[in-house]
Amino acid sequence: MHTLELHNVNSGYNKKTVLHDVSLTIQEPSIYVVLGPNGAGKTTLFRTIAGILEPYSGEVVFDGENVTSSRDVRKRINYLSHYNAIPEEMTVYNALSFYANMQGGSADEVVALLHLQELGDKKISDLSQGQKKRVSVAKVFLQERDLYLIDEPTSNIDPGYSKEIRDILLKLSKDRIVLYSTHNLYEANDIGTDLILIKNGTIALAEKISNIKPREYRIGIRTSTDISKIVDAKRGEQGYYVMSVSSPEEAGRILKKLIEKGVLVTEMRQLENPLQELFEPA
Amino acid sequence: MKNNFVRQLGRKPAIITVKRGLALSKSWVVLALFFTSLAILVANFGNAFLRDVPGNSGISVGTSLSLLSIALTVIAAVMLTTSVILLYVCDKNNGVLEYFLSLGMNQGDIYKRYLKAGVILVSILMIAVAVANVTVGLVLKGDVTVPLVATGIAAALSLSVVSFATMAMMTFSSLQKQTAWANQPLGLVLGVLLAVPPYLTPLILPFVGAVAVDLAETVVIAALSIALFLLSSRLISREKLLP
Repeated sequence: MHTLELHNVNSGYNKKTVLHDVSLTIQEPSIYVVLGPNGAGKTTLFRTIAGILEPYSGEVVFDGENVTSSRDVRKRINYLSHYNAIPEEMTVYNALSFYANMQGGSADEVVALLHLQELGDKKISDLSQGQKKRVSVAKVFLQERDLYLIDEPTSNIDPGYSKEIRDILLKLSKDRIVLYSTHNLYEANDIGTDLILIKNGTIALAEKISNIKPREYRIGIRTSTDISKIVDAKRGEQGYYVMSVSSPEEAGRILKKLIEKGVLVTEMRQLENPLQELFEPA
Repeated sequence: MKNNFVRQLGRKPAIITVKRGLALSKSWVVLALFFTSLAILVANFGNAFLRDVPGNSGISVGTSLSLLSIALTVIAAVMLTTSVILLYVCDKNNGVLEYFLSLGMNQGDIYKRYLKAGVILVSILMIAVAVANVTVGLVLKGDVTVPLVATGIAAALSLSVVSFATMAMMTFSSLQKQTAWANQPLGLVLGVLLAVPPYLTPLILPFVGAVAVDLAETVVIAALSIALFLLSSRLISREKLLP
């Protein structure tokens, strides 16, 4: 069991404070999704926890040790920046060996783990953005650490590979804390158990995702029958009949009513992600 | 595939940095080789054929030319290590330095890595220059003593100048707010400026005076680069190494 604590942390760049008085304690091993608009302070938070940025005041403590001053504790943290940070002049295999040489682990194993064999002898500079990102992500899995700070790992990556990366992180999160930053709300909902919402450099919300209830649910119903006379739904986007309900239970009742009336419903889904509201201006 | 990395780049961080730097920019290597060849030629040609021609400062034209090769060798060393400075800037801009910091390194560890690479490059160059001077001197049937003394001074001065220029350039690059790739002109200007005294001393001073001034410059620049290195972690915060 590991513990990450932030006590009244103020941090930023060039003496300009980005994080304001951030306090947070995480103990339960899980994936904590860090969400927030651009410039909210997500990357600054990760860099401060990783010990890359020295806080102007306050402290970051991992398992009782101050991250800023203890080199040993920083070595127990795995940080993936949203910058690829891979030497462009090297081949994929050499780049991963370069990292393995620095931090330990086996390039062969991560190449196999992330199915990078076909890229192994290609130069980094010849890869697409998505391929570069996969190589960059691979270095995080070279050696297991106690705390993972993962900043937008799946941006530019194909859905299949993104899922593989999420699956590996899910496995790791069974006995470790993983902080995972993403702009993809569906991905956040899919992978995370907890949410840390950052707005204007402060933690606006830290909550279990399952506890976050939207004000209303917009649902889409796909059917060939005109159901506007049966329920209060209007023909809307992408061929759905769209309507608002107050809860998932109400959606269930509507579906039951339609079936009882003999309507063949081919699809029913929530149109917006429940986390969407968190991004809307207050 | 596995053996390729070790075979191509080795295991030691400084050696890996040297090889990465050389792979990044070959044009500086070519220019460095040109100036090195010129230095070897000047040192030995003068010593072999103009040793008995009296010069203005009381030493022969041949000996003056041999001492003049010190300045050319220093410029060659600065050009060769420009590739390491370029690599530093490149690594800063694409996040490799941020990755180093995330592994628990501090600013001093990172500077040491690139500085060591520069010093290794200069050391290799100086060994090559010494071997070449002896070989060419023997072929031309000249006295190899003066070219070897010049090589010794050039080696000491080059190491000092390159250490100072590398530290100064890394500091400058770290303090830049905007992403910039073209730091090499400043590094070169700094290196060339520091190579000016060895250009002038053989022309205006006797042999012992010229050697003394060159050695004094070596000591001063070495002290400056050591001070800059020791103060780097205090002067430059970690955030300055971020992309």
